[in-house]
Amino acid sequence: MAHSIRAGRARRQVLRALLPGRHSAAALAVAIAAATALPLAAPQFTRRFVDDAAAGAGTGHLTLIALGYLVVAVAGQAARTLTAWLAGRLAWEGTDRLRERLAEHALGLDMAFHGRRTPGEMIERVDGDVVAVAEFAVAFLLDVVAGVLLLAGVLVIVSTVDPRLGGALAAYCALIGYGMARAQRLAVPSAARARQEHATLFGGLEERLTAVEDIRANGAGEHSVRRFHQSAAALHRAEFRSDRVGSSLLAGTGVAFAAGTAIALGLAAWGRMSGIVTVGTAVLLFQYTLMVRAPFERLIDQLRRYQTALAGIARIGALLAEPRTLPSPADPRPLPATGPLGLRLDGVGFAYDGEGGEGGEKVLSDVTLRLAPGERLGLVSRTGSGKTTIARLVLRLYDPVEGVVRVGGLDLREADPASIRRRICVVTQDVQLFAASVRDNLTLFRPSTGDDRLREVLAEVGLGLWLAGLPQGLDTVLGGPADVSAGEAQLLALARAFLADPGLVVLDEPSSRLDPATEHRIEQSVERLLTGRTAVLIAHRLSSLSRVDEVAVVGEGRILEYGREDLAADPDSRFARMLRLAGVAR
Amino acid sequence: MNSGEIRPGEGGETGRGEDDQARPAEARPGEGGQVRRALRVAARLAGFDLRRYLVGALLWMPAAVIPIGGGLLLQRLFDQIGGHRAADLEQSLWLCAAFVGAEAVRGLTIVVAWSYGDYWWNAAATVLRANVLRSLLTARGPAAARLPHSTGESVSRFRDDVGDLVDFADESVSLAGATLFGVAALAIMGSIDPVITVVLVVPMIAVGVVSRLANEAVRRLHLHARTLGAAVTASIGEIFGGILAIKTAGAEEAALERLREHNRRRRAAAVKDRLATGLMESTTGATVEIGIGLVLLLAAPAMRSGDFTVGDLALFTTYVSWLTALPRTIGVVLHRLPRAVVATGRLSRLMAPHEDSRDLTRDTAVWFRGEPPPAVPPPEHDDPLDAVEGRGLTVRFGGNGRGLRGVDLRIERGSFTVVTGAVGSGKTTLVRALLGLVPLDSGTITWNGRRVADPGTFLVPGRAAYAGQVPRLLSASLRENLLLGRSGERLDAALELAVLDGDLAGMAQGLDTVVGPRGVRLSGGQIQRATAARALVRAPDLLVVDDLSSALDAGTERLLWDRIAGAARDGSGPGTLLVVSHRRAALERADQIIVLDRGRVVGRGRLGELLRDCPEMRRLWGEELVLEAGGQQDD
Repeated sequence: MAHSIRAGRARRQVLRALLPGRHSAAALAVAIAAATALPLAAPQFTRRFVDDAAAGAGTGHLTLIALGYLVVAVAGQAARTLTAWLAGRLAWEGTDRLRERLAEHALGLDMAFHGRRTPGEMIERVDGDVVAVAEFAVAFLLDVVAGVLLLAGVLVIVSTVDPRLGGALAAYCALIGYGMARAQRLAVPSAARARQEHATLFGGLEERLTAVEDIRANGAGEHSVRRFHQSAAALHRAEFRSDRVGSSLLAGTGVAFAAGTAIALGLAAWGRMSGIVTVGTAVLLFQYTLMVRAPFERLIDQLRRYQTALAGIARIGALLAEPRTLPSPADPRPLPATGPLGLRLDGVGFAYDGEGGEGGEKVLSDVTLRLAPGERLGLVSRTGSGKTTIARLVLRLYDPVEGVVRVGGLDLREADPASIRRRICVVTQDVQLFAASVRDNLTLFRPSTGDDRLREVLAEVGLGLWLAGLPQGLDTVLGGPADVSAGEAQLLALARAFLADPGLVVLDEPSSRLDPATEHRIEQSVERLLTGRTAVLIAHRLSSLSRVDEVAVVGEGRILEYGREDLAADPDSRFARMLRLAGVAR
Repeated sequence: MNSGEIRPGEGGETGRGEDDQARPAEARPGEGGQVRRALRVAARLAGFDLRRYLVGALLWMPAAVIPIGGGLLLQRLFDQIGGHRAADLEQSLWLCAAFVGAEAVRGLTIVVAWSYGDYWWNAAATVLRANVLRSLLTARGPAAARLPHSTGESVSRFRDDVGDLVDFADESVSLAGATLFGVAALAIMGSIDPVITVVLVVPMIAVGVVSRLANEAVRRLHLHARTLGAAVTASIGEIFGGILAIKTAGAEEAALERLREHNRRRRAAAVKDRLATGLMESTTGATVEIGIGLVLLLAAPAMRSGDFTVGDLALFTTYVSWLTALPRTIGVVLHRLPRAVVATGRLSRLMAPHEDSRDLTRDTAVWFRGEPPPAVPPPEHDDPLDAVEGRGLTVRFGGNGRGLRGVDLRIERGSFTVVTGAVGSGKTTLVRALLGLVPLDSGTITWNGRRVADPGTFLVPGRAAYAGQVPRLLSASLRENLLLGRSGERLDAALELAVLDGDLAGMAQGLDTVVGPRGVRLSGGQIQRATAARALVRAPDLLVVDDLSSALDAGTERLLWDRIAGAARDGSGPGTLLVVSHRRAALERADQIIVLDRGRVVGRGRLGELLRDCPEMRRLWGEELVLEAGGQQDD
């Protein structure tokens, strides 16, 4: 119940974001009115022209009418262009608002949400759905609103000529409309199939081009060409079917409209014989029947897209209705602003949510750790996610299911979230770099403390030479020609941490892909970073434990062993056994 | 051949490749040679199945010409209604019926011509694509250097450049149709009123010229909008790809501000693009209106005198809207020529250096109605490996030092050779150079003492097989991925050697499991063992494996080498191995280790000797080999 109310509210939000301002809406309404009225007026001039010419009016009079036609008809085209421009602008403004609102909301959601979603999925939901809605919004204003108005106008005018003619035209439009909408639905499956085969062919080509060396060196070239021929044949067959349906539809529409024109002209001929209509009115009828075709076709086409747009709005609404799972503190208190921060975990247990929101399997239970300000804790385990989960709890990316995590003496649930981000810092194995300048990559797009400080920090982590080698220095855009190696990325992440000046650092050690020489360089920078701060080190290599004060061995979601120097000294401890196995002497 | 205009008066083109607006023009039309080459390629495309091309073209002609008849029918009808021609109602109704009948015939020919033309269009595109693909996958010389850096760009060549070329060859049909209609319509109109006809031609030409000139600007606007749109998408992707970094740093607001900025820029460009497209559309619409207006203006005196009847007026207004197709079709052809030139150039660059544009249109059969014949397996070679040798292998890469400098290497039958070194020392380049996957700047490769002219096509199964460092699986069943056209008799043995048998037992569909980018995600280690199995199925004399360690834990890697070594001993697997590795399991087993540093060999020998004598080896692995014993794997 609560969910459906939330979803309803979210859908209203979507529509509100799309609505234009009052002035813009008025301008658009005027433009649409002009784009409808002017084309409707133009045939009236032809009618006068033909009738007056037949009645033997003067050349000057006829010329004036012709000029009038010219002006009105060209103005009609201009009005349509103006409408398109206004509709495009308003739709883009609305959807941009919506996209920003969505991105803001999604950014505010917790890692429990993001952990289950790939960036590709988020692109689809924040951008793809919105673009689909934007396209429909433009088309709706141009093709549906303007099209319906034009059609209605034609029917009304024809009805004023003779209600029977108007009635016949209306009935015929309804019939064709129904037929076209039905026929369009027939075309959808075969068109979808052709698109699918198209995607398969080029997807296959892309994969083979990526794997060109694997294929060549394993002598599978001819086989791959054969597979391509099979895909090409499947595509041809699908396109053949789809084109046959598509061209039949097109031909059918042509015949249907020709029939409509013929009926109108037949009625006009009959009306002329019975003296109801003039020859000018016959020309007018002819022009109107030609005029309705284009908006009619566009209108039918929009019917098909309407479903997609509705689905898009529903998905956007669902994302906006997604609630935050980490409650904001009622009375937020900031963490101490300077100095190293102590860390305490008391009886902490944790389970990741299943998709349904119910608790999943417990990954941590009864974890108790105490770390004085300035001390270093090494987390070791043979395998498993226990230690990574502890790190996530310390950063308050999740709240514990039981127990308390305290940093600087404060329960993290009561601490000001902004101060948590300022004072606790994480350096992960996979460094997330952005296709932006070195500066933005260091500051993460926030206002910088000054380029001198950035250069200083880069020098501090050992990237001074690297920076000097970049063509545009701090303005060099990463991911371009200046590719960043794994080691350099790791050092950049350390530089971010230096800039943040945190009181507690969580360090997920660099991966074993680096060669030992590069790793040695990183270790020196790490050592400098950790000086004077509290640190939690997630250790993948036992050799790095030479610099910690305390060690916790994690296994099966529990702290198996926890101790200081004594742990390594006790020959019966797991830790000592692991050290012996690894051949590390302390 | 389905890009013929259907209703030249109103709709857009029905041709494919609407996205093709998005690519920048690289053509330099001044260079006549390139234009001639593109024209030759287009002519050969039309000619490779000339019968279908000509029959298809003829089928389109009624669709172009029937509107002439439609106009004449309307003329008679309006003359009857206007009283210029004596008639009764029945005659008028018959004319109406004939009008519908003509449109029905036209519709039928469109369906037939379109369906018939599909075969030619798809066959022409398939011939081009198959020739380029075959060249990339089998022609002499390294192929990777020919491919552009992004696969998106490569795919766009296969999709859009091929489409451009075929459309260009196809466009001649639309041009012929529109010309036929134009000549007939102008002749009829001229016989009614030559002055008006001549005056009408002027705005047509003007609009043709204007839209031709504006086309480039519109295209640039469109491209700009697309680029900025991609930037918005990319920025959203980055925000959520780097969500952990942003959230843990509390940089949400700053990231949003960046998105807003991208949004603003894209919005401005998209609105401009839309306006330009709208202007182009209404130009066509306005030409028709201006044309009709001109007819009214000029016909006023003649209408008064009765020389220009209301039927003539109906005929002129009908023809005017169809006639706008002619300048537009000419514009399209003019517009497609530079694109065809660019497309020919870009496709030719994908071909091997010894091939020319003629090879692009080489007559490869297409198999749209039956199965293509199976690929011929490589012939058994009659010179089993005694020794393969590289001398003075040198590869220069754009100066960043990642090449090879005069590397010598000799691999004897039955030996286990390991290449090791720091990141960027040239290990991968060495094996790729030996296999002919990167071009050698100097140096020679010999097989049993005889020089190998093109290692890329010589060191293939059954002489050599390769499991690369960044392994690629295709979206297909695991069986297809492993066999790639080979017979399955060695499959079980290869699966076991590659230590993939256990994983396979856990997959519900076994070898029929669809893997790869669009299938089941295998773990990194499974992918690497699958590529090893793919090489092993080919029973090569020499097995080349590039660094399995990044995704395999030490224990599994040890097991893999144990099994492969066992198979080498009893002759059931490849006897000679060349391996890039820094793992103890491989290093200890090696008959010779080659230590590389910045592209040079700095040590050669067995592990013990090197740890004693080679400083680089000691620097790199001295400490590491001791530590690795714990076998810690990250989570």
